Amino acid sequence: MDQRSDRGIPRRAFLRSAVAIGGASALAACLDRESVDVPTGPDDLSTLPDRQHAWNAVSATDDHGNVVQPRHRILLALNLAGDGAPSGVDRETTDSALRSLDRAYERSHDGLLFTVGYSPAYFERFDAALPDAVDLPMPEPLAAFEDPDPDTPDAMVHLASDHASVVLGAEQALRGETASLNSVDVEAALTDVFAVADRRTGFVGEGLPASHQDVDGVPDSDPVPEDAPLYMGFKSGFSKNQATEDRVTIQGGPFAGGTTQHVSNIRLNLSQWYEQDSRFQRVGKMFCPAHARTGAVEGVGDNLGDSSGMSACPAADDSAREDGMVGHSQKMVSVREDDRPIILRRDFDSTDGGHAGLHFVTLQRRIEDFVATREAMNGTDLSGGAVGERNNNGILQYVDVRTRGNFLVPPRRLRALPPATPEGATAEGADAPA
Amino acid sequence: MRRRDFLRGVGAAGAAGLAGCAGLVRTRAANVPPVIENRPNAVYVPSHVEAMKVSGVASAGAYRCALTYSFPHRFWTVSIDRTERVSIREDDAVHLMPVVWHAETGVVPVTTNPKIEISEGGETVTSLSPWPMLSQPMGYHFGDNVELPGDGTYDVTVRTGAISAATDALAADAATFEFEFDYARETVRDIEFTTYPDEQGSTGAVPPMEMETVPTSQVPKPDALPGRPLGAATSGDAVFVATAMEDATPFGGTAEETYLAVSARTPYNRFVLPMMSLSATLERDGETVFEGSLSTALHSELDYHYGASVPSVDAGDVVRLAVDVPPQVARHEGYETAFFDVPPVEIA
Repeated sequence: MDQRSDRGIPRRAFLRSAVAIGGASALAACLDRESVDVPTGPDDLSTLPDRQHAWNAVSATDDHGNVVQPRHRILLALNLAGDGAPSGVDRETTDSALRSLDRAYERSHDGLLFTVGYSPAYFERFDAALPDAVDLPMPEPLAAFEDPDPDTPDAMVHLASDHASVVLGAEQALRGETASLNSVDVEAALTDVFAVADRRTGFVGEGLPASHQDVDGVPDSDPVPEDAPLYMGFKSGFSKNQATEDRVTIQGGPFAGGTTQHVSNIRLNLSQWYEQDSRFQRVGKMFCPAHARTGAVEGVGDNLGDSSGMSACPAADDSAREDGMVGHSQKMVSVREDDRPIILRRDFDSTDGGHAGLHFVTLQRRIEDFVATREAMNGTDLSGGAVGERNNNGILQYVDVRTRGNFLVPPRRLRALPPATPEGATAEGADAPA
Repeated sequence: MRRRDFLRGVGAAGAAGLAGCAGLVRTRAANVPPVIENRPNAVYVPSHVEAMKVSGVASAGAYRCALTYSFPHRFWTVSIDRTERVSIREDDAVHLMPVVWHAETGVVPVTTNPKIEISEGGETVTSLSPWPMLSQPMGYHFGDNVELPGDGTYDVTVRTGAISAATDALAADAATFEFEFDYARETVRDIEFTTYPDEQGSTGAVPPMEMETVPTSQVPKPDALPGRPLGAATSGDAVFVATAMEDATPFGGTAEETYLAVSARTPYNRFVLPMMSLSATLERDGETVFEGSLSTALHSELDYHYGASVPSVDAGDVVRLAVDVPPQVARHEGYETAFFDVPPVEIA
């Protein structure tokens, strides 16, 4: 896989490659090089938050107060054996496996952050339908020009850490390949209940895309800036360009405290982006034409602070009309609520399949929030005149959606094989509207 | 699929603006000429024109797609009012052009941006969304220079999204066209190009190519447009032909409204001139009857055009047109300096 690993390449490149490779030997090699001392998790697990997705308070932040995403990621797509609803024993085993992770690593970017979500296909195993407060449709194509495969494993585990060895170790534990994790006993494995249907890996953060640009989809000229957090060369995830965790949290019903997760795989084709487009065009298409004209974006955009500066851009339909070009960020303005987006991005780049890609993981209260956001990105109302279906229409020309999946990330108390209609009191959302 | 070779910039199309053209035919073995110095800010005769080959033609419903190619060549992308020259990369193997058209009418679905995926033995080699482009002598098409690892037979899939149109028969669902593309470096190198040493750089254009299987993106002659002809005007080399059609319902208006349609085309060759922002004012006896931006639509007789539903169009009305942003299509040589400075025009 990574043929460069013993040729004196930077350490972080090796570590990321280890995550892509996976397995015991990758972990061993990784621990050999990455000397980290990660604290274990608490003995009293009741101190952990009910929201699985409450990562922000335990994430790093940058100089501008933006949350810095955990750098190393693994997505494990899991299928239950057989048909029908899972048993109580399955549930206990799953719970035990997840609790082992809780105890093994501190719950933070420096330790381990993870979520477990369940698909609409999983909930079809139950006779009863999900409560109305949960909007979790089967995945569908979300643009006239895309043709994604539906991604329908029963469950999706998202592992995240700033340390490659931590996500690899957690994966080994979930697969039952280690009895001890960070010197803590592993009591059960998810693979006692599930089969691993797919393994996806990736990275996000300064330096990582640049050190992994020797991949199809990125031209050979090493164009990705060293300090870019993502392959396309610009910062994203400004704090004012992210929904709050409250905004994406389900407020009422038995799943209150949970959220929904959309997971798409996007192939990036950056030859045109880096070899044919100019910087003016890249800034115009990523942000807005006005930013391109005024030179508002320096380098990867750290100078923008905590927002992408959309107040300095005209409305998207004005730019479409007068410039024949609309920026990606500019199109997103129409779906803001309280001057913030309604989805929370937890996406990361990938070299899976030997091709530059993006695992676009987002959280939102309802999947319809994602659909509305994606509709804005399509810019259908803005195109047809000077703006093309994908040409000069944000970054649509360079991205190709390959899969789409929807998942419910239940609150922690229901994270182990939840029934479609759980009983009992809710920990959050007791004040939900009737 | 049958393979055919098509040339030709050198043709005898009568309507061409290039009188006495006596192009010299060469192959890639000779270097293509450099970009001409002192190009006019207008449509001009390029230094050379590449021949193209058709790898195959595939069908999906009422639409056809031809996978065509030539050797890699330079072009200019357009953003707002700027051009950005795209040079040939060392590993560029071909200039690949999927040409999609409605079989019965020859209408090209201008706004439908095809996606290309190239694979070999089940492994994806590359995928891309090519640029919308305007060239002599091909007209409007999608294309890009593409890198390939070497000689071989590649599976090429062209996907198009749903097509919306004012004419029901032109509307279509998303479609997939499959091709086997035999690539040989030598074959591509031997594709001919024609130079125009005497005429290059002068205003004018080489005539549209003539191909048996693949239509060019010519729009109808003014007298072939449906409706009541309102006249034509030229500005910044762009030709605008206006017509009025009673009953605007196919275009989203009402039966009582009139549809004011404007067909924009290149001079000399009548190639569709798409993807600009166009506004119109309709004046009657000094009063403004309509003022607003024009939308674009596909129609089996109007082809791709700009239009708006207006209360009525009477004899003696004046139509004023303003280009708010020039055609946002990439350009091949001969078009890259044209259609940027287009002052408002009047059709009366």
